[in-house]
Amino acid sequence: MLNLKSILTKHYVYLILIIFWGLSFAISPFFRSVSTFSAIFISAVPIILIGFSQTIVVIGRGFDLSVGSVAGLATAICSVLMEKSLFSAILVVVAVSLLIGLINGIGVTFFRMEPFIMTLGMMFIINGVSLIVRPSPGGYICDSLKNVLLFSVGDFALAPFLIIVAAGIIGVLLLRKKALGRMIYAVGGDPNAARMSGVAVDRTRILIFTISSLVAGLAGIYLACRISSGNAEAGARYLFDSFIVVFMGGTMVTGGVGGFSGTLAASLIVASLVFILQFFGVSSWYQFIVKGLLLVVVAGIQISIFHRRSKLNE
Amino acid sequence: MNSNFIQSMKDSMRKNLQVSIILAALVVIMAVAGIITPRFLTVNHLIGILYLNSMLGILALSQTLVILSGGIDMSVGAIYWLVVMIGAQLMGDGALWGPILICLAIGTAIGFINGFCIARLKIPYVVMTLAMMIIITGILYVATGGGGGGKSAEELTQFSIARIMKSSQKGGFNGLPVRTLLWIGFVIVFGFILNRTSFGWKIRSLGSNCESSRLSGIRIERVQILTYTLSGILAVIAGLLYLGQARTPYPTFQSGAGVGANLTLQTIAAVVIGGTMFSGGIGGAGKTMLGVIVTSVLYSVLGMIGLHEEWQVMLNGVIILVIVGAYSRMETNN
Repeated sequence: MLNLKSILTKHYVYLILIIFWGLSFAISPFFRSVSTFSAIFISAVPIILIGFSQTIVVIGRGFDLSVGSVAGLATAICSVLMEKSLFSAILVVVAVSLLIGLINGIGVTFFRMEPFIMTLGMMFIINGVSLIVRPSPGGYICDSLKNVLLFSVGDFALAPFLIIVAAGIIGVLLLRKKALGRMIYAVGGDPNAARMSGVAVDRTRILIFTISSLVAGLAGIYLACRISSGNAEAGARYLFDSFIVVFMGGTMVTGGVGGFSGTLAASLIVASLVFILQFFGVSSWYQFIVKGLLLVVVAGIQISIFHRRSKLNE
Repeated sequence: MNSNFIQSMKDSMRKNLQVSIILAALVVIMAVAGIITPRFLTVNHLIGILYLNSMLGILALSQTLVILSGGIDMSVGAIYWLVVMIGAQLMGDGALWGPILICLAIGTAIGFINGFCIARLKIPYVVMTLAMMIIITGILYVATGGGGGGKSAEELTQFSIARIMKSSQKGGFNGLPVRTLLWIGFVIVFGFILNRTSFGWKIRSLGSNCESSRLSGIRIERVQILTYTLSGILAVIAGLLYLGQARTPYPTFQSGAGVGANLTLQTIAAVVIGGTMFSGGIGGAGKTMLGVIVTSVLYSVLGMIGLHEEWQVMLNGVIILVIVGAYSRMETNN
């Protein structure tokens, strides 16, 4: 049931999004245009996809520091291989990101490395490889793919919008309804209890990292189309954005609690910030301060609610 | 007798296996470098490597404190750059002590806020220090307009590049850099604090098991706040040393990705390569110093044989995975 209290304590991310959009809508006439929302959707797609990667990893009690660099590597691979063939470029990106995720998963399970350290090392390696593949930004991205992924009707960015809707539906269904999703929650909530109740913990964790890396690679393909070139460092900012949207969206750093819908809403907030500040006449540099403060405030509220709830339960 | 000796050797090897691995790695890297270029193994060159990496060493020391206490500080790199940029602007008219005090105050305040929010408000440390990094990024862009300005005070520069015991002969001993001595001094002081004082033991016990530390009467909130504050102060000192060397800094931080993020990740890499456990409790200042030395010698070797940044970054990753993978296999086997 949606009463006021549950809206305030559970669904505050959506509330923040509505307040942000509502305020801008009321104050700035520029915000009331299709092209503004299209611009928000276009810039939100990579944040949402990489946010999904990070969400499943964090729910599974881990971190993935390599997501941003996987996206960067994907843009680099695309920009090099698309001259020859579109198909082979996409195939190589998929294969490479699957391989990276698999190695991350094996390192975390069989070698018992901390996810943070495993993916940190992986991130350094991928950054190096990306710079070798594409030392300076540039290269060729094929026009037909750009036309498909950024397809728009008039001012409305239809394809990015559809990608967001599809990602939202698939992401939420995967985590809520599918057996894999439930296993991810089980592994993140309490790995030992999950093992006792018959969940293949190691296999699930390997799967989590593989899916995470794959989605990050796909986000990289979209990113390559958006910036219309390959850039080894293009993905770096999305690593921190992914943490921001995951934590802002209500996924707990301790694992087992959270979901993708919150991440989705938080991604839209982050993607809108630049435009909202612009319409208020504030330098877009302030977006970092707003993002950081928002993250602390949201995390603080979330923790205090969580503690009150666990005290009530005691 | 003989078998006893071998047994005790084995025991001490196992005890110090991490340090042995890292020393062996260091010796191998240096031997290879020495074979390729004999000039690599001169005292002047090795001290030069330490000189260039003193700032990373001090930053990694601050990260060590936080990681030992069971946390992580994603904002050390950002504090470092904040001090470099703001310090240069403040020192523009030649003032020295005022700007230094302001920078120290800023670092103390940031560290305190980090510690307070983590200890009292129970915000997860990754979230808090990450948010702090993003906020500092914003402040830095807004305050500097995205470009650099100002310059370091002359005294600071002199201090940062000073060397003592320099030989007057041509081609003789280049002297010991003061800031490297400062780094070693910090390592000794914090090594002492961590091993021999109750505060140090409290930090470690917090990292091993937060709940049982609390139950045994340690005021964990105070220890946490102090740890993050110390980390902030050390980051300021590292930033000031770099400012002295750079004289007029220009922003080399990546736009958008968060100021100093790469530097922060390098400090974490150095800490875990040195053998401090990422989960906290086990490790120390000396180990981290070894970690910094290994990575910086490796960088120097790679640069010398003509492999540049991309290879250095990549091999840094490989080293992390191989060394930490070896450590954690050992833990599992024990």
